[in-house]
Amino acid sequence: MDIEALLKLLKEELLKVLGESYGDFKTETKKDVEAFLTLSKVKLERWTGLLQSGDLTPEDYEWLLKSQKDLLVLNALYQAGVSKLKLGHLKNKIIKTIMNTVIASIV
Amino acid sequence: MILKTSITWSKILRKSLFVMAFVLTLSSCQSLKTAIFDQYSYQQAISIKVESLNLMDDATQSYDSFETEVEGLMLELQKMVEYEKNKPDNQVSYAMWNVLANADKNLLAGFFKRWKEDGQLSKVFKDEAKLQISEALDLIIKYEAQKNKTNETNILNFLGTN
Repeated sequence: MDIEALLKLLKEELLKVLGESYGDFKTETKKDVEAFLTLSKVKLERWTGLLQSGDLTPEDYEWLLKSQKDLLVLNALYQAGVSKLKLGHLKNKIIKTIMNTVIASIV
Repeated sequence: MILKTSITWSKILRKSLFVMAFVLTLSSCQSLKTAIFDQYSYQQAISIKVESLNLMDDATQSYDSFETEVEGLMLELQKMVEYEKNKPDNQVSYAMWNVLANADKNLLAGFFKRWKEDGQLSKVFKDEAKLQISEALDLIIKYEAQKNKTNETNILNFLGTN
């Protein structure tokens, strides 16, 4: 099976399906789909090979694909959390600098 | 002389008020607050990861023989979700644990649900699912490890809440 062709097909299908539900977020949806497919490429290749050889059943294959989607959700949460932590660090540094400067100028 | 001193103090007061207003505005950014590092959460996440991956190895055998162990692990998972839910400013960690503990999703709880339904799973499938679940738990562990650990942060977070 040509994985590149499969990925292209999947991208088109995902954008079509997601576009119907999340039309207002077309750019974000496209980014999410691309990130999902990039991260998933190696796994998709391996799982497709295992499906072809009969080592995975179609049900196993579908379960793993869905698990990859759930993993993408977790990854998005992780990235959002890390960004929030970084912004929090920045806020704390600004507060600390202001406090030090004010204290130094008063004392 | 008195007039000059009065003007100087007026300037200092104005500057101080401006700085205070700026600090208050900055510190009131509720959305930026994140729960601090929690040793218990970190240890429990590692413990659940090790126990889960070990138990998944048995999925090539009959589910009935391992029902008690699976139920025990699912109970631990539920306790963890409740623990994370009740920590303030902890929405991200709570959401991550929720995905893992949801039996309708295809990660940890979903794997054990499938084992129960099918009775027994193939080695190839179990090995691939283990990689997925290990990756998911690693994200939770990594995120907890990146949270702030210092007392200084506690003080600054306190300042931010008052």
